[in-house]
Amino acid sequence: MAVDERRIEPHADEHDARLAAARRPGFGLGLLKGMGVTLKHLFKRNTVIQYPDEKQDLPARSRGVIALKEENCTVCMLCARECPDWCIYIDSHKETLPPKRAGGRPRKRNVLDRFAIDYALCMYCGICVEVCPYDALFWSREFEYSEYDIRQLTHEKERLSDWMSTVLPPPELELGAEMPGMPSAPAARAQGAATVEATGARPATTTSSAAEARPQQAAGAPKEGTFATEAARPVESLPADQQASETAPERATPEPAPGLEAEAKATQMEPGAKTVPEQGSPATERGEPEASATDTDRAPSGDGAPADERADREPPKDGAAQAAGAPAAPERDAAPAAGSAPAPDVQVPQVEVPIEPPRPVVLERTEDPDEVYRTVLAEQLEKGSSPQVAEARAKVARVKAERGIPRAPTPVEVDSPVPSAPTQGAPREPVQAGAPRAEEPEPEQGPVAPADAAESGPAAAAPSAPADGGESESPDATYERVLAEERAKGSSDAVAVARAKAARVRAAKGTRGPGG
Amino acid sequence: MPDIDLTDWQILLVKILVILTIIPVGALAGGYAEHKVMAHLQHRLGPMYPGGFHGWATTLADGLKFLYKEDIIPTAADRRVFALAPAAIFVPIVLVYLVIPMDRALVVEDLDVGIFYLLAISSLSTIGILMAGWSSANKYALIGALRSAAQLIAYELPIVLAAASVAMLAGTLSLVGIVEAQDWPFALWPIGIGQVAFLLFTIGAVAEMTRVPFDMPVAESEIITGPFTEYSGMRYIFTHMFAEMGHMVAFGGIAATLFLGGYKPVVPWEPLEVVPGVVWFLAKTMLMIFVFLWIRPTFPRVREDQLQKFAWKFLIPVGLALILGTGAWVLYV
Repeated sequence: MAVDERRIEPHADEHDARLAAARRPGFGLGLLKGMGVTLKHLFKRNTVIQYPDEKQDLPARSRGVIALKEENCTVCMLCARECPDWCIYIDSHKETLPPKRAGGRPRKRNVLDRFAIDYALCMYCGICVEVCPYDALFWSREFEYSEYDIRQLTHEKERLSDWMSTVLPPPELELGAEMPGMPSAPAARAQGAATVEATGARPATTTSSAAEARPQQAAGAPKEGTFATEAARPVESLPADQQASETAPERATPEPAPGLEAEAKATQMEPGAKTVPEQGSPATERGEPEASATDTDRAPSGDGAPADERADREPPKDGAAQAAGAPAAPERDAAPAAGSAPAPDVQVPQVEVPIEPPRPVVLERTEDPDEVYRTVLAEQLEKGSSPQVAEARAKVARVKAERGIPRAPTPVEVDSPVPSAPTQGAPREPVQAGAPRAEEPEPEQGPVAPADAAESGPAAAAPSAPADGGESESPDATYERVLAEERAKGSSDAVAVARAKAARVRAAKGTRGPGG
Repeated sequence: MPDIDLTDWQILLVKILVILTIIPVGALAGGYAEHKVMAHLQHRLGPMYPGGFHGWATTLADGLKFLYKEDIIPTAADRRVFALAPAAIFVPIVLVYLVIPMDRALVVEDLDVGIFYLLAISSLSTIGILMAGWSSANKYALIGALRSAAQLIAYELPIVLAAASVAMLAGTLSLVGIVEAQDWPFALWPIGIGQVAFLLFTIGAVAEMTRVPFDMPVAESEIITGPFTEYSGMRYIFTHMFAEMGHMVAFGGIAATLFLGGYKPVVPWEPLEVVPGVVWFLAKTMLMIFVFLWIRPTFPRVREDQLQKFAWKFLIPVGLALILGTGAWVLYV
């Protein structure tokens, strides 16, 4: 279809006309008009707010200072972590409280010692306020806290708590605003109506209507990639008489349209819903359109076969559908209201976006989880991992066995010389986190004879389980050993020397590295 | 009131003193007016603090501030010329005040060649600007000075032509005579002639004062202050505040005299004669000053080549046509 220039620049004609008009000589009239504008402002009431004598009434959501509500803070440190400027300073300690009742477990509680925000650094981005899960931080409208001394700009928790008195109650939401997670009543009603429409449009069992439905599905399918406005068209294309009021919630294949937006969101919800795929329960009206829409959109094949899967998948999608219903509903609202005739002359490039169906994974348990746990634990300990690491890996293996997820054998040998990879037998010198201490420059060691390396390698291999960390051999011997190992492994010279040096330093200091 | 019998030269002295008082006061008031009027035209307030009540003492404070600023002369500058330039700019403006009549008798000296003298003397400022720019040992000051010189020469002609047309209509070069000849102000009466002359004169005056939209030489955002970049302290005040404000009041007065009827009431209506001539004159001058101030925040800056084109290719031909028209009118009407 030829591209219509009028669509690309719909106002081209007017643009030229205005340009032509602007270029005509105005004989100074334009200048006089300009002078009229300034004169008008001369006589208008001035709207200047003369700060500091007059202060503006700032909007409710203005970002001034950040106030702390101490009782809400559980010292989770999310704000300090997320602050891009690192301007929040938090200190805390744990206290143990006596158990609530006799024989109970003593309870631990975080106690906030210090909570300070350095407003010299703060950029007022509000990430800390957003991220606080317990609503302990609030925006205030105050901004007049300049200081002569920059150290005074670090507000401690007392001052931050004082600012709470300036925090406004949350502003009213606009009319028709939706609360997160809850579909609003009118939208739900509309969705219900639309669903009835949808189900009414295609009576379930008759093949004729199914056949009729399919071309419309097929028409709908290529438009998967586009969104609600395009989705509105298949709704419109249904003849009005088909929208008979069928009251029974039929498991009919609805149009792709209402399912599209819901589906787009439902697919987002999929990873969450996937965890419980095997539960079955009777389909609800809400869950069903989205569920079947997912199938039918893709392949206009018979509805019979996927029906079972659909039944399985409905309940987890219920929650998804609820949330998806609300945003989808306003679009559906617009759809019937948009008018009955589609706009066929408006061509939009059709984009095929293949949407992967969430296939149910059939899981079987092939091994006994506890057995797996014991096996893996023994393996890891034998290999030389620390007890915590071994336990963790064993637990993971057990969970995987429970769920029937095929697991790769826990790595005991690895090709790539990643320092933290577990090594069988020869304990690899772990890389020290952070900057290594500066050491005096050592003369480069000459290449160690392979024979020596091979001998000293296994011979020097000591189980790294004991935590004394290298007092058994001198740092220099460690250096030699590691160097030989690295070279035997095939590391480049620079890497080998570096690792050997690090090992020597560590041996000298008596520290352990990761994995040791 | 006791009879004060003063000799001629004493009277002259008094008049000169009056002029010398009027000029700084006028400059101060004009500067304050510029701040406030321009601000309100731009929907803002302007200075509010100095002096307490809407910042009336702004320019006074400015002047006093400049008094204690260090007087810097660039090392490479031509010291003598640098020091003389402000005088060369300022003195001609003072001299212009000598012939402007504020009332029938309130004129320092009503020269018979009033207009001629006026135009000749006011164009001497151009030399002062060139001196300032050249002696500053600053490339940009020099560029500003040359631009300024070109501009002032170009826009001198429309002023001269408009003034000549007025002189023809009035039949005399004396300013008092011109005022007397205006029963109806020239801006209103010979339709087609007076208005054109008025417009020509106003535009030329704005350009003569290097004001927006013709302020390329002192384009603040581009060339700092053009020829006056190197001036600091009181020298700066003389070249800038006094010169510009003085110029504004002077040209406002001249325009009021030539075109608006000077110290005469606007319309030849008997009851209006009660109001003293000075009041009329001041009112008209202030109206002209307001027009100059009004133009400033309204229009963007005209580029140098556009400026020159406008003068030589439009204003001067129009001025010449104006002369022809005026001549025809005077001869045949």
